[in-house]
Amino acid sequence: MNKEELISKLKLIIKPYTTNTEAYDNLTEETDFINDLNINSANLVDIVLDIEEAFDVVIDNTDMERMLDVKTAVEIIDTKLAQK
Amino acid sequence: MIGNDVIDILQSRKESNWKRRGFKEKIYTLDEQLLIANATDPEMMVWTLWSMKEAAYKIYNRQSKIREFSPQKLVCAITSQNKYRITGYVICSGNRYYTHTILSSENIHTIAVSTFDHLSKVIEIENKLILKDKNGIPNLVVAPDCIQDVSISHHGRFEKVVTISLSPLN
Repeated sequence: MNKEELISKLKLIIKPYTTNTEAYDNLTEETDFINDLNINSANLVDIVLDIEEAFDVVIDNTDMERMLDVKTAVEIIDTKLAQK
Repeated sequence: MIGNDVIDILQSRKESNWKRRGFKEKIYTLDEQLLIANATDPEMMVWTLWSMKEAAYKIYNRQSKIREFSPQKLVCAITSQNKYRITGYVICSGNRYYTHTILSSENIHTIAVSTFDHLSKVIEIENKLILKDKNGIPNLVVAPDCIQDVSISHHGRFEKVVTISLSPLN
């Protein structure tokens, strides 16, 4: 899976939790889940669980800690996929 | 220092499914999961512990400037509770934050402070001048050259803005 495919798959996961559609439509790697997309912090857990299901990976607490923006989420998923 | 977190119960039911598989395990320590399992109202316990973590995190973030999503590093303990009030503390990276939670059928509101004595000195304020610094941390402007800690929490129908009143008149 290349980076563009990964980001578009991630974007679909994030959609139901975001309340800022403008930031969502203009999503880039720099987009921050909480500050830009207004995602409720409890829903960050849902995003992590959705990522685990969609990509069939396990995100541990150390990874989850950093998962606050698109760039880091992509990095973490990419690393997990490479380990499979 | 102060942090607070309000949860609109109706909003939380729309936004989250706390019974979802894996949800509690990502957020709560084993001891906290036991508190939830043994609670008469597990839903209220889920969100009480969550609001304790969020309120404490706001102080931790103000102190350390560290931004991270690590709910299990904020370890909750309850020291006393009844149907309407829960007091306890949250430990994070060796710091202890004292908490007081008020429960109603509509919302859950937790206040956290870094100094125990300040717990009784917390006041709610409205329509005051608040400025955020470069880290997004809010400060209350009390005079042109004087600011103090303030914490803002908004969820669903509720917004709570709290500060510590250190004036002897209050």
